[in-house]
Amino acid sequence: MILNEISTALQSGKAKIVKELVAKAIEEGFTATQILNEALMPGMDVVGIKFRNNEVFVPEVLIAARAMNQGVEVLKPILIKEGTTSVGKACIGTVQGDLHDIGKNIVKLMLEAKGIEVIDLGVDVPPEKFVQTVKEENCQIVLCSALLTTTMPVMEDVVNAFKNSGIRDSVKIMIGGAPVSQEFCTQIGADYYTADASEAAEVALALCQRRI
Amino acid sequence: MNIKEYLLSKKAALPILSFPGITKQGISVKQLVNDSTLQAQVLKTVADSTPSLASVSFMDLSIEAEAFGSQVRFTDNEVPTVIGSIVSDLEDAKSLNIPKVGTARTGLAIEAIKQAKRLITDRPLFAGAIGPYSLTGRLCDVTEVMYLCYDDPDCVETVLNKATSFIIDYCKALKLAGANGVVIAEPLAGLLSADMANQFSLPFVKRIIEEVQTQDFAVIYHNCGNSVINMLPDIFSLGATAYHFGNSVNMASILEKAPSDIICMGNIDPAGQFANGTPESIREATTTLLDSCANYKNFIISSGCDIPPHSSWENIDEFFRTVKNYYGNY
Repeated sequence: MILNEISTALQSGKAKIVKELVAKAIEEGFTATQILNEALMPGMDVVGIKFRNNEVFVPEVLIAARAMNQGVEVLKPILIKEGTTSVGKACIGTVQGDLHDIGKNIVKLMLEAKGIEVIDLGVDVPPEKFVQTVKEENCQIVLCSALLTTTMPVMEDVVNAFKNSGIRDSVKIMIGGAPVSQEFCTQIGADYYTADASEAAEVALALCQRRI
Repeated sequence: MNIKEYLLSKKAALPILSFPGITKQGISVKQLVNDSTLQAQVLKTVADSTPSLASVSFMDLSIEAEAFGSQVRFTDNEVPTVIGSIVSDLEDAKSLNIPKVGTARTGLAIEAIKQAKRLITDRPLFAGAIGPYSLTGRLCDVTEVMYLCYDDPDCVETVLNKATSFIIDYCKALKLAGANGVVIAEPLAGLLSADMANQFSLPFVKRIIEEVQTQDFAVIYHNCGNSVINMLPDIFSLGATAYHFGNSVNMASILEKAPSDIICMGNIDPAGQFANGTPESIREATTTLLDSCANYKNFIISSGCDIPPHSSWENIDEFFRTVKNYYGNY
């Protein structure tokens, strides 16, 4: 079945084939939502699970996510026409003073694979920028990344910036990165710490679906 | 001195500890990384303050990329970071010039080793260098290099060959300056599958080891990624003097798979314990690690990676005290 073929090609990171198969599936009469929910997302879920189990690694996740994005690009005009909206909206960034972005990039791709719209603020992001983006874009979730022990305290500044702006209760703040821990998350008053990109995507999806 | 015999003959700790010396010297990271005399003095201060098996120089993984022409950001509190990329395709890779050793801050690092060797006379001194795939990642951008491995492997291999050639020359210069070995940090390879590491990292590391390692000049291979557990036989076949692992792996699991003549080092969490822990928590973590690994004669307790600059000296001292007490009662 073509939906299985799309999922398999995605898992191998074959972007060009995914793109062709998605176009073919549309021709065969599958709806865009069907292709998204029954081929692309399950394919990426398999990659996420394998990543967590150390069966695949960062490069495999990156190329699978790129293949998924190629498929989504084909579907996008139809999804917009059908009025299909994303599951939720989030913004992500590496906090001020920190230029490391590979972890942040993987988390972003994993969230997108769950159907969440993600605004990527890049690296070296000041706390006010997170607040401004949430206000302008109505994000439900903020994800902060840090690799350095000296920049992780900026995550607390982000939490405080939301408190000071009066919109702390309308947003969930998730944190992650090598030096970060659940203990630190609790200490600074963030909402969720996740240890890896796959878990971050699951928590973000659960938040968007109001399951937690 | 036969470095491997020396390392196996002692029951003591050998953490990757150098940057925290700045707090004892009252200087910033930025001052340190731009001054060879300060670097030598900091290494001497750390040596005088700790019973480490050896002095280990700074794990500054921007030095080599800067020599190739990468832009580097310096701050007062953090180890320098490479910004952007200078290679994005095969054309860029082909036209990339291999710098002469001494370019940018490589000359300064060599001079620091020369000066430190004169100051530290009671233990071996290990210099630091980046691994070939990690250097290639900094030249191409660490995310982009992952895509390039699939899309344009010729580009990656072209850069890898140039990076390897430079690292060999750099290690030889460090040896000439008096270093008793070099810690080659290849963290980016820790994100790769075994197949990819066998294509894009390990053969190049092996080439470096074959070119520079002797009985009196050790290569310590550092890989702090969690994928190492899947490629241990390949890693151990590199022929390095010792292998250093990060805190994302279980050290006892590594030792179970290591032949008894292969030195394995690791892996107290640098951020979680040395930087953000307490004396109580690091004592507990150190004791737990020793309980599971001390019976292996080829185990040397260490940090899981480079200890961050502003780590607490209370925690560092407690780490060494715990190790000393443990082996005293062993």
